[in-house]
Amino acid sequence: MRQPSVIARRVAAASVSLVVAAGAAACGPEDNDAKGSGGDSTPHKGGTLTVLNSNPQQDFDPARLYTSGGGNVPSLVFRTLTTRNRENGEAGAKVVPDLATDTGRPNKDATVWTYTLKEGLKYEDGSPITSADIKYGIERSFAPELSGGAPYLRDWLVRAADYQGPYKDKGDTKGLSAIETPDARTIVFHLNKPEGEFPYLATQTQFTPVPKAKDTGTKYEQHPLSSGPYKVVSNENDGERLVLERNTHWSASTDAERKAYPDKIDVRSGLDSSVINQRLSSSQGADAAAVTTDTNLGPAELAKVTGDKELAARVGTGHFGYTDYIAFNPTIKPFDNAQVRQAISYAIDRSSVVNAAGGSALAEPATTFLPNQKSFGYTQYDHFPAGDAGDAAKAKELLKEAGYAKGLTVTLTHSNAKDFETSPEIATAIQDALKKAGITVRLQGLEENDYSDKIHSVKSEPGFFLAHWGADWPSGGPFLAPIFDGRQIVKDGANFNTGLLDDKSVNAEIDAINKLTDLDAAAKRWGALDAKIGERALTVPLFHPVYKRLVGGDVKNVVISDWTGVLDISQVAVK
Amino acid sequence: MSAPGASGARQFWRRLRTQRAALVAAVVVALLVLVALAAPLLTAIEGQDPTTYHPSLVDSARGGVPIGSFGGVSADHWLGVEPQTGRDLFARLVYGARVSLGVALAATVVQVAIGVVVGVAAALGSRLVDQLLSRFTDVIVAMPLMIMALALLAIVPSSFPRPVLVALVIGLIGWGSIAKIVRAQTLTLKGLDYVAAARLSGWGTWRIARRELLPGIAAPVITYAALLVPVDITVEAALSFLGVGVKPPTPSWGQMLTAADVWYQAAPQYLLLPAGALFVTVLALTVLGDGVRTALDPRAASRLRVGTGRKREAKA
Repeated sequence: MRQPSVIARRVAAASVSLVVAAGAAACGPEDNDAKGSGGDSTPHKGGTLTVLNSNPQQDFDPARLYTSGGGNVPSLVFRTLTTRNRENGEAGAKVVPDLATDTGRPNKDATVWTYTLKEGLKYEDGSPITSADIKYGIERSFAPELSGGAPYLRDWLVRAADYQGPYKDKGDTKGLSAIETPDARTIVFHLNKPEGEFPYLATQTQFTPVPKAKDTGTKYEQHPLSSGPYKVVSNENDGERLVLERNTHWSASTDAERKAYPDKIDVRSGLDSSVINQRLSSSQGADAAAVTTDTNLGPAELAKVTGDKELAARVGTGHFGYTDYIAFNPTIKPFDNAQVRQAISYAIDRSSVVNAAGGSALAEPATTFLPNQKSFGYTQYDHFPAGDAGDAAKAKELLKEAGYAKGLTVTLTHSNAKDFETSPEIATAIQDALKKAGITVRLQGLEENDYSDKIHSVKSEPGFFLAHWGADWPSGGPFLAPIFDGRQIVKDGANFNTGLLDDKSVNAEIDAINKLTDLDAAAKRWGALDAKIGERALTVPLFHPVYKRLVGGDVKNVVISDWTGVLDISQVAVK
Repeated sequence: MSAPGASGARQFWRRLRTQRAALVAAVVVALLVLVALAAPLLTAIEGQDPTTYHPSLVDSARGGVPIGSFGGVSADHWLGVEPQTGRDLFARLVYGARVSLGVALAATVVQVAIGVVVGVAAALGSRLVDQLLSRFTDVIVAMPLMIMALALLAIVPSSFPRPVLVALVIGLIGWGSIAKIVRAQTLTLKGLDYVAAARLSGWGTWRIARRELLPGIAAPVITYAALLVPVDITVEAALSFLGVGVKPPTPSWGQMLTAADVWYQAAPQYLLLPAGALFVTVLALTVLGDGVRTALDPRAASRLRVGTGRKREAKA
């Protein structure tokens, strides 16, 4: 959970890739039947699916990938103990069994989790998958040379904090003592604190089986042994071109989630996003059977696409749990004054902010910190109602009470990245809205790395800045705890509790909810906690982004879950 | 010395006037300067300003494309509005002219000042001074302007007034060619008899430079400066385009181009306006600069058939 939202965004891009057409996708205003150009919409096996991406599929080693729910392309090759439900919308935010027979059996206080593997699981070479291989796969992810994954395993497993991976295990063949494998199909995890959300963690690629005999260390990424429906045929330039073909030893009878219609998957990366969208919209040749797992439609592209019926039918809409917001540092004047923070909350013009982010089709106005999805425990609240255009009068009134009757000048820090999230477009929209309330905003635009360093350091954190946050899985815990848990304030290092909130009652409630293994009950309490924290006005939620992506004309069976917000590549058919 | 100078100026205007293209360019440039100076007045007449958002004028469901034809052109918004924000494009364009012209002119002044000082000092100084200054000039000329500017602009804190900074950076990097021209011209003049005579009569170096040499190098310097202005405009636009020029919400043509480049299909006028403004401005300044060069060049003067009263009378 210490991972920055930047990483979370990368996760969204790298792992998830779903978006597309599918009108079905439960979400969003677009109801078009995405199946495109008439004809037979039933998916069939066969053909080659081309994936056009901007970011290469780097470090294709299950130990090194940082994914949400096992990723998109990675999940074609790597199976995990549990995985995300490959269904449209809300149902897709659930965690379901993958290699295991269930999502895990906790002990009473959720500190011990037991899994049993399905029968008949095989690697691409026909050899059986064992629980010891899963343990070994997790151990590898602790090796410094195979870093890159999320920090949860090190934080949660008992006696794992200083573990350096299996390559340093001299003589001691037991490895991580927190993981037991009493027999070839059983694996038991011992955690140092209650974690009701362990099944979500078990979706990450670190839970992929890796047979010790086949481990080639840092070279394993060239040809990782597949447990999924496809195996790696070639991997050029660290994932720039990745070709996958059917793994004949994979059996659909052990895998309820992956459909695996195409015979071959050809992932081509390093393309400019405008080129990807242009190729998908013209849909010529092999591009007719193409999708992208990392490129959204921008506002201008959307304007063009929505003017064309045929193209509009090929746009998929998805929601990834994500919030773009204004963060305050309450140790810096005048933001130590709650009335000033409230005044800014009232003054925000969400319609111009949403437009700056790409309009109502690409962003939904947010008044809650939690994303507007049930799995996060979304509870509607609007403590400082600003309406669409902002309530300048109410803001002025509060400023007057706070002693700023003559107005106020503040500096808004943002990044110069062209991402429509923390970028100058959003900052200038806020600047214009606050002007009406008598607040003069000076803009401080920083280069992306500089910006990221500054806002995540307790020492250099600005008073008033743009931020965003996405969780590693669709639940309130990883969404709220890193930002509002006082014990997660990191004094020397990357800190995400930007409001520096350290409240005993909040901390205690986080601990209490983490003990719950009934995820629905937990979700309700996360929602209530969010509403309670919201009263403090430590953030001003701005919007939740919506993903719109094109698919080629021959692409069928587009499934977009709320977990990833983008099309699930394991469900796509091209015949 | 002052009498020939005055007649030189008169001659210059006469020669410039006979070039129709240069005259048209001069009128265009004058208009642009006027528009830039009168930007607040013009936008007040229109009833708009360059920074106010108008969310109701864009179609939020379609990515924020302006509502209405030609990008939302109306009696209230003469050139339409900006996609996503609904800000008035006419206001942004005329305020953008201030940035473009102001920065370019200021940068040119800096370039000329440094170039003349360095060039004259190198020509008149000792061998060592000449060597040092000339090699330094070579280094400056050899350095890629854009990359240097990017580096400089990235390290200066954002609290420094941005347009001033951009002008300074372009000025401090782009003076090399002027220095070289000035040095060469000064060396030529230095060898002439009247300069030798002045030196023999006991004048100091400083006095010779000021009284005898500077008037002689004025023509090439003015010519080169006139041609530098349009170059500096494009450099400013390029820097703003790359995101290191002036900062939002200050409007600038280069910045408008960056924001507009993705909109060329959905809202073409958004791209065409700053592109057209840049094109017209740079073309007019270049043609005018060329006219200035012709008017100051004695060899071209005879072709223009002006500057010698005799020929004119003969023609009449």
